[in-house]
Amino acid sequence: MRESGPQTLTFEDLATPLFPSLYNVAFWLARNRSDAEDLVQETILKALRGFAAFEQGTNFKAWIFRILRNTYLTSRSGLAALRTVALEDELGDRDGSGNALHPEGAIERQTPELNLIRLSDKAALQAAMEKLPAPLLEVILLCDVEEMKYREIASVLDIPMGTVMSRVARARLALRRALEFQMPPREFRA
Amino acid sequence: MNGHLSSSILSALADGELSTDQLTAANEHLAGCPACTSDALGQSLLKSATARAGRRYELGPQLQQQLAKLAAQTPLPAESPSLRSPDAPASRSVWWSGLRGWSVAAVFILVCVSIVVLQRTTGRAGLASAARSALVSEVCDQHIAMLAASLPPQVISTDRHTVKPWFQGKLPFSFNLPDKLPADTTLDGANLTYLHNQPVAQLLYSIGRHRVSVFAGEKLNPREANQLIAEHSGFHVIGFSTADLEVLAVSDVDPARLSDLARRIAEVQSRPNP
Repeated sequence: MRESGPQTLTFEDLATPLFPSLYNVAFWLARNRSDAEDLVQETILKALRGFAAFEQGTNFKAWIFRILRNTYLTSRSGLAALRTVALEDELGDRDGSGNALHPEGAIERQTPELNLIRLSDKAALQAAMEKLPAPLLEVILLCDVEEMKYREIASVLDIPMGTVMSRVARARLALRRALEFQMPPREFRA
Repeated sequence: MNGHLSSSILSALADGELSTDQLTAANEHLAGCPACTSDALGQSLLKSATARAGRRYELGPQLQQQLAKLAAQTPLPAESPSLRSPDAPASRSVWWSGLRGWSVAAVFILVCVSIVVLQRTTGRAGLASAARSALVSEVCDQHIAMLAASLPPQVISTDRHTVKPWFQGKLPFSFNLPDKLPADTTLDGANLTYLHNQPVAQLLYSIGRHRVSVFAGEKLNPREANQLIAEHSGFHVIGFSTADLEVLAVSDVDPARLSDLARRIAEVQSRPNP
């Protein structure tokens, strides 16, 4: 048997398809091209160095996204985001303007067609996503864009699954709230 | 609490993350609550819209090449303690000199097991995705075939009290049709057809000049709550399920108007059969 083993080939095979996703999430988090490029390259380097310790057969995508996220948290923009939002309680109850969001169970009843009209405005939704606090943005990116399961997201973010569930719901409430503010007022069913 | 499903439950429902018990309870509630059904549909719409909007930044070819070069390098010895597993060996030289053969064999076995596990995992996800794609393709094909054939419906009527009874004895289930339809929407009739070898009602509507097919079939797995929004060859497909029914609406009409019709149909399913 050869000593070269499966590590080099496996890393390239596993990492290459994830480059676009890593860059997309990096750009969302870093919010500029230069920092996003640095973030992805540093992530790949760290992953390459740490690949010897990667447990074969476990979730490579979750593993490398966790490295990306940890690298982001120690970056300049990540540290700034951390300073902005530190406590779990601060995430859910207020939006960017300081207004209280809906309590659990008090759901606004909107018609699907109204939702569709709003959601068809991609730019408005992207603007709403930009306003999300980093902990809510990262969870919605991993859940909706990267299609990760809650268990995988919990592994990437190193938080309990219940917190993932709660953050996803809060992120969606915040998005709906933000989209409402961008639309002209309209009466709809309560 | 106001008796409705919480935002966390609705959100987890859209993500397919509810436990079996939670799903059963949510299904029971949705079967009798048009408002929550509508909200669940809204959650699914938001999820798919966020997925599209979130894919915003494209990797440039230059950076792609740089990353590919990096990834193609031979992995360096692990330097970062934070990335290493707790049980990773601190010094490799001694271990390699004595246990090289066993280590290589263990890695080989591990890789084989990993490949099997990965294939099973991706296989299951792939099957669900393939089944969904096949269903969307099939309803679109049936809708297109109906448009191309230019044949009158098997039952021609704008009256729901004529269309619904026509299915008596033809289908092993029943359903309700809305009395009030959205503006500029009319019921044209219906056909008896088959999806996945199961008999279903193909309800034919017109929204303006756009034709709409609504397929109503018996729900085969009552524990699953299906919400579906898809596009196929320029046609929009919106699906929902109740406790007993699975319904798919397909048309090239504006998706908001198609959604409105689907919502009206969903709302009347919880009423007793008239």
